[in-house]
Amino acid sequence: MFHRLLIANRGEVAVRIAHAARSLDISPIGIVSEADRDAGWTREFDDVVCVGPAAASDSYLRMDRIVQAALQMHATALHPGWGFLAESPRFARLCGQHGITFVGPEARLMDELGTKSPAKAAMSRAGLDVVPGSDGPLVDADAAAACANEIGYPVILKADSGGGGRGMRKCANEAEVREAFSSAQAEALAAFGSGSIYLERYLTTGRHIEVQVLCDNFGHGVHLFERECSVQRKHQKLIEESPSPALTPDERAALGARAIRAALEVGYTNAGTIEFLRADDGSLFFMEMNTRLQVEHPVSEMITGIDIARSQIAIAANHRLAFEQSDLEASGHAIECRINAEDPEDGFRPSPGRLDAFEFPDDRGPGTVRVDTHLRAGERITPHYDSLIAKVIVHADTREQAIETMTRTLEGANVAGVKTTVPLHLAVLASEPFRSGNYDTASIPGWPA
Amino acid sequence: MQRRIELLSEERDGGLVLLSPEVGHFTCALDRGNLVAPGTLVGRILTLGETVELVTPHGVTGRIVSDKPERVHEPVGYGDVLYELVGLEAAALADAEGETHAESGSALTFDSPYTGRFWQRPSPKDPAFVSVGDVIEAGMTIGLIEVMKTFTRLTYEPGSRLPARARVTALRATDGAEVNEGDALLELEGA
Repeated sequence: MFHRLLIANRGEVAVRIAHAARSLDISPIGIVSEADRDAGWTREFDDVVCVGPAAASDSYLRMDRIVQAALQMHATALHPGWGFLAESPRFARLCGQHGITFVGPEARLMDELGTKSPAKAAMSRAGLDVVPGSDGPLVDADAAAACANEIGYPVILKADSGGGGRGMRKCANEAEVREAFSSAQAEALAAFGSGSIYLERYLTTGRHIEVQVLCDNFGHGVHLFERECSVQRKHQKLIEESPSPALTPDERAALGARAIRAALEVGYTNAGTIEFLRADDGSLFFMEMNTRLQVEHPVSEMITGIDIARSQIAIAANHRLAFEQSDLEASGHAIECRINAEDPEDGFRPSPGRLDAFEFPDDRGPGTVRVDTHLRAGERITPHYDSLIAKVIVHADTREQAIETMTRTLEGANVAGVKTTVPLHLAVLASEPFRSGNYDTASIPGWPA
Repeated sequence: MQRRIELLSEERDGGLVLLSPEVGHFTCALDRGNLVAPGTLVGRILTLGETVELVTPHGVTGRIVSDKPERVHEPVGYGDVLYELVGLEAAALADAEGETHAESGSALTFDSPYTGRFWQRPSPKDPAFVSVGDVIEAGMTIGLIEVMKTFTRLTYEPGSRLPARARVTALRATDGAEVNEGDALLELEGA
């Protein structure tokens, strides 16, 4: 096993990985930008290297400085977290060239699967159905318009290297495609370091259901069941749950089996997520594969008891998976609410500032509560980075009990100083479409559009 | 030819400190008591197999009052202190030079409503939303502000302080600049 692991990320995910490293007796080493130098969460690391000024392009995206930081801190492995360089095959290669184990799949798989259009081709070959769209990235707005005219409207523009809703634009006609193309490109370039954009048919109704997979370096793999992620705003997930209320036990088993078969077919290693769009008629289209740990991974951890971040590190250290599919069981129901520093009453305007109070009770309702966060009362939320400030995850025997536990936990939350999405979550949890499980990505249940 | 980069400098506790501009192993450090002036070679940094020469930045003159690191190859991060200096008179002169450009306090300005990064154009290839000499009026986009990875359009809204139509006389924030809430982005005059 590794002795020292460099965590090439910040905030909540950096803390999550530091805990996973410690559970394996590995010393976590952090990196920070100047804006994060004094942040409280940096105390989770045994050592910290500052890699640049506040702007992510000069710090958290500086591959050369991050790899040099790993070398001089004698870290032999590097975990990229999510966002920033997590899906950069170039970064994974640079780590490899300097003898550092990148915790994730091989760079060639990230090339193929991390960019969306080659991934569609690969998964189509591996037996999954795909959404009709452009054949690879689009060179310019003209090409986008031509392709959109051919497949029919509405369409959605997506960043080839993207995720998290950045660089995505829904377009109802050719004029909208032309207008949205350059801003989608700029946003993708700023967020992911690549302005490559592709396009596909936008399915107006449907559910976003994804399957978590874990594969070791010896051709063994398991799925950790699905996550339902249809409560979204501008393609950013707000609430995730598992199991999905939309699937029957048979559909669940079949989906998991198809996903892991496809992952093994392409030779996938480490943790990954295969995202599907479930149309109203029950058909499931492959959307994309995320070749990294995901924000909502705790939902799957809660129902299976498997520590995904820890498994990632063990797999990277050439350990075999310690369990087989038949050992895994989806037990009970888990829900995660992403708490962002945004004002849902004011168009989700980002709300950086000082957290005057920041407490979530963990003894409400019939279920158990887990709060993943990097912040404490008295700390500042910077305007430089993502607005995620905490994830509240609950687990209970039934979906009703999970909803009750989450509702009572959020009602009892004491968060002051910044605006957060807590009121939005409470509205969704109380809404009839959410309670009945009958919702999709088209609108936020219980929240006016 | 080795790459040369200037150290970063910052005033701290009445003195001046020189900071590492890179992550790497710092070596060939100068001893306490040495004098440094702009361009003086003050060490090297080894970063990913490359050796980079470190030089004193423009406008900095002084005497080194800190000890060099114990290790021949000292691992340093970006912004770590490499030297502490006491200024000489020349340093004071250089400072005075830097303070000559005065603030034009009374100008009409369009101020940033948020703290974040300011962008003058929708994408690097596109023209800027506004240029000096442009006349702007209600509803026109003057730039984008990036806060927590979200881009928001900044539109011109006349009010008690700003006229219905205004001519841009100066751009105060560069493309990609970090700005604070209330910082001036544009200087304006009535049009």
